[in-house]
Amino acid sequence: MRRKGMKRKLNESLTAYGFLLPNLLGLTVFVFVPMVYAFYVSLHDWNALSPKVFIGFENYKEMASDKEWWKSVNRTFIFTVIYVPLLFAGSLFFAVMLNSMKQRFVGVARTMFLLPFAITSVISAVIWMFLYDPRHGFINQFFDLLGLPKQQFLGSTDQALFAIIVVIFWINLGYNMMIFLASIKEIPLDYYEAAKIDGATGWKAFWNITFPLLRPTSIFILVVTTIGSFQVFDQIMVMTKGGPANSTMVSVLYIYKQGFEFLNMGYASALAVVLFLIIFVLSLAQLRLYTKKD
Amino acid sequence: MGKNKTILTVFIFACGLLIILPIFFLVFSSFRAPEDVFKLSLNLGNLTLDNFKAVLETNILRAIWNSLVVSVTVTVVAMLFHAMSGYALARLNFPGKKFVFGWMISTMMVPFTVIMIPLYMVTKNLGLANSYGGLIIPMIFNAYGIFLFRQFYQDFPKELEEAAYVEGLSIAGTFFRLVLPLSKPMIIPLTIGFFTANWNNYLWPLIINQKEELMVVQVALANIVGGGYETAWSIVLAAALLSAIPTFIVFFSMQKYLVDGIKMSGIK
Amino acid sequence: MKIWKMFSIFSIILILLFQAGCSDSSSTGEEDGVVTLKFWDMHTDAEKAFFEELVKEYNAANEDKVKIEYTAFNQSDYSNTKLPVAFANDEGPDVFMVSPGDFTKYAESNILADLNSYFPEGAKEDFLPASIEAVTYDDKVLALPYELELLGLYYNKKMLADAGVEVPKTWDELKAAAEKLTTTDVAGLVLPTDKAAYLNFIWYPFLWQQGGNVLNEDGTKSTFNSPEVAKALDYWGSFFQDGQAPSKLQYGPWDAGNLGTGSAAMSIVGTWLIPVLEKDYADTEFGLAPIPVPEGGKPATDAGGWKMAVNANSEHVDEAAKFIMWCFAEDKSRPLKWATEVKFAYSPRISVVEEGKAIYDKGLRKVFTEEIYDSAIPEPRFGPEIVDAVGEAMQQVMFGNVSGADAAEEAHKKIEEALSK
Repeated sequence: MRRKGMKRKLNESLTAYGFLLPNLLGLTVFVFVPMVYAFYVSLHDWNALSPKVFIGFENYKEMASDKEWWKSVNRTFIFTVIYVPLLFAGSLFFAVMLNSMKQRFVGVARTMFLLPFAITSVISAVIWMFLYDPRHGFINQFFDLLGLPKQQFLGSTDQALFAIIVVIFWINLGYNMMIFLASIKEIPLDYYEAAKIDGATGWKAFWNITFPLLRPTSIFILVVTTIGSFQVFDQIMVMTKGGPANSTMVSVLYIYKQGFEFLNMGYASALAVVLFLIIFVLSLAQLRLYTKKD
Repeated sequence: MGKNKTILTVFIFACGLLIILPIFFLVFSSFRAPEDVFKLSLNLGNLTLDNFKAVLETNILRAIWNSLVVSVTVTVVAMLFHAMSGYALARLNFPGKKFVFGWMISTMMVPFTVIMIPLYMVTKNLGLANSYGGLIIPMIFNAYGIFLFRQFYQDFPKELEEAAYVEGLSIAGTFFRLVLPLSKPMIIPLTIGFFTANWNNYLWPLIINQKEELMVVQVALANIVGGGYETAWSIVLAAALLSAIPTFIVFFSMQKYLVDGIKMSGIK
Repeated sequence: MKIWKMFSIFSIILILLFQAGCSDSSSTGEEDGVVTLKFWDMHTDAEKAFFEELVKEYNAANEDKVKIEYTAFNQSDYSNTKLPVAFANDEGPDVFMVSPGDFTKYAESNILADLNSYFPEGAKEDFLPASIEAVTYDDKVLALPYELELLGLYYNKKMLADAGVEVPKTWDELKAAAEKLTTTDVAGLVLPTDKAAYLNFIWYPFLWQQGGNVLNEDGTKSTFNSPEVAKALDYWGSFFQDGQAPSKLQYGPWDAGNLGTGSAAMSIVGTWLIPVLEKDYADTEFGLAPIPVPEGGKPATDAGGWKMAVNANSEHVDEAAKFIMWCFAEDKSRPLKWATEVKFAYSPRISVVEEGKAIYDKGLRKVFTEEIYDSAIPEPRFGPEIVDAVGEAMQQVMFGNVSGADAAEEAHKKIEEALSK
């Protein structure tokens, strides 16, 4: 081990803060200050048109009895609980598969998986609305061919949320797979060769080498996907606007409705503060859970 | 073994085809007459270029240029800043490290719609409204890249840095000369991610910019969708396809660098 | 390493580029005695072109006094993003379009300037009293109506003939017709599906036909728990439950695409559809009829339409108000062009409708003029909470297996709560 004198330590700290400075500054000005402002707004009655009226924690009190809000939180949780494991497992699975396929085709395969990511959310929503169309949609025509009954998909209160999950999964699968694949490629080959001598191949090698060594990437994907799953907005806005009968009204959509349709900016900010706290606690728990061993 | 690989390859391509099926529909429909867009016939006789002609009559090319300026600048600057921060958080010791990391991650957790109004105020007060600066600068700072770089550098082989320190390189020198060039395996996927995310950004450019000549591609696309009494989906889809081409180009050109990600074998 | 070189060259160029972009000259207010006004709009295509023309003409005629800067946005962004963000930052446009759904909120927040004193001599009397009443708040006229869009039942003549269906006149006939016309490819009746002000807008006539309403006469109490509401909800919902109205649409419910592409046999849509059908779907023959009425009911339809308003906090209320009066309250030619050439709607001005008599009797327009016009009721200007409560009740009946009465009761509570705020 290198000896670290006081000077060395100071130097290291200074360099670190130097490296962090642009982001510390930028994040403070363009994210943190607006966040603090949102909290400030949450203590007011404000419709964006007339001056703010200070009302203390009234908005938070009102929230407690807002059934629609808590239902939207619940729906968001359902979304997260299904979507996050699905995307995590899916992208890891395909990353491993692509890593062991014939390498000269990897580029083409990766691009295929990645293509949905290139399409703007509004347009992918439009395409999927066509595929999901209850009458002429591709999927229903396919079901018909198989002798299955036609489904309502986005027009059904039971299916709409899942239909949306499929779309978001479709969009993000390739990108997350690529991140996993990049990390897998970083694992030194001799690890596997050493394991081979011990007779560990296939599944065993995956569990003993690949998966543990992917831990930092896995943590990243899990935390980021969880945060992202709480903020899915564009696709839902285009495909269902929270309907039918509120069945896809997730929290962010509800906040948007309160803020920009009802112009209850103060209340919407209060909702956002609470949503932030929920995500914060969840992400912190995830980070703690996964990094405990280190 | 060889046979297994072939089966696997075929399986992956089958999945891949399933995934690009909706995109196939997008491409196909953008060449069809307006009344046929949502029809499921494979009749190739009626394909037309009219939709693309109609799209090119709008100001979409100018908008594509603007988006290119914004997305490339954001991506380049972000890569540098985020790699630096990620490295500091992963490999350097300094007081307040945990707090700084937690604080940065927490900035990802606020839905954009909520900070939209204050962010507009801040940006306007900095004199950046209606300029490239306003479109670019606020979008650079995003904890996503910092977080990913941090995770990446956590497993970076220590021996390289040790060797550099012995050689007498400073920390900063080690990072810029040695670590950063070896970070390509993570920079490339992130470049794809940042470029695409900024290319597809809609809400922020919509708010911060009023000027016609600074309109970005997604806003131009939304104007083509319109909301009038007659939505010409064929034209919208053609515009969507056209506006996705730069992202496709980025995907394909980055492929090369992705495939030969360096294997650091021999270093433990 | 080549990639890095490329990156650095690229970034230097771009940084130079955006440096140039940063030096922005914000131009609002006064310059050399010329007043600059911001005018925001949500129209598209030909309608946008019309306003662009108007602005050009006005700017030319008032060259050394007023300069109007016109910007149009996508409609949903306009109402729910651009305007709130702008007003929240005290930089709202001087002149803008306001929808009936936003009117009350804006009026309550004192954002809308009183236009009363700006009407040219005798002009106010030329407007239909109901249309002025719809924009009056606390005895102040807070917006200028410039169009009345009415609703009717459009149908595909051939499809009805082939199925042996008569043009429906009553609720029962409409229901039976929709059932008969529904096939695997064709929807019997296209109605809006997603929750939005438009959903309520199309539904209100079914309520009014029975004498029902959302609020009482003076707008202070909810009357939404009435049997008329339940009946209208149940009737509307039955089209969705029985699969005669699709649960999702490829085109917007107001869009000509539904009827035009032959994927719908009937649809309740507004006056705006006529020119589009004539222009783009001339090969198909369409018919038009008043919205069918229930047993013992009286005919009713909406008179919707956006209004022009002036920002009360603008430094140039005078100039802005003069401009909108010039657009629609002075010369007859501009409102006539708007309502008959650019789109099809009724002008709220009696003299303009008189002037355009020949056009108002052309083709399907005649049905609106002779059979529908007299039953028009202005679109209510409820605040967004009430609009949402009504929409939610509709959605519950359409998709949530809830009875009309239960959904109405739930909405009734929400409306009362919204009114008490």
